Amino acid sequence: MSDEITTVKIGQQVPDFELTVYEPENHDFGKRNLSDLKKAGKWTILFFYPADFTFV
Amino acid sequence: MGAELITVSTDTEFVHLAWKRDEKELADVKYAMGADPTGKISRLFGVYDEGSGLALRGTFIISPDGTLFNSEVNFYNMGRNIDELMRKFKANLYLARKADEGCPSKWKDDGDKTLRPGPEMVGRVHEALND
Repeated sequence: MSDEITTVKIGQQVPDFELTVYEPENHDFGKRNLSDLKKAGKWTILFFYPADFTFV
Repeated sequence: MGAELITVSTDTEFVHLAWKRDEKELADVKYAMGADPTGKISRLFGVYDEGSGLALRGTFIISPDGTLFNSEVNFYNMGRNIDELMRKFKANLYLARKADEGCPSKWKDDGDKTLRPGPEMVGRVHEALND
């Protein structure tokens, strides 16, 4: 994968990505990737914020 | 609702765990808390602040086929409104089914008035909204 990241724009296909996550429901760590969410027929809402231990 | 909400910051998953455990406001949190310590995902969505190494307050809605439908980015000190997010999400669900309609600014939920762009609406949006 190239080091240069192009910002995705409205109406464009979002390239596949994977995130390591903390899952409060299982109290465990896991992964989320867009291709699995697409396969499951789900909408994905990403909610970015600057930092933990601050207001969101 | 057929949607997966994932929160993302440049903190690690370990810090997410500690924050969730400490902060009483997060007691009911069920969504996955994503870790983006390299800023790669934040950069992909254009919310990575190179100066601080933090992600700006951005919200993005991606359809099941992988299309980016919505983006909203707020400055650091402005919180987001969950009702506004839900309004946009519901509008996206509706428009994914009825692509030839439009949800006007006051649209809130299924059953509210939509617009169907066409020649008869040119210069008559007021009438279309109020008839």
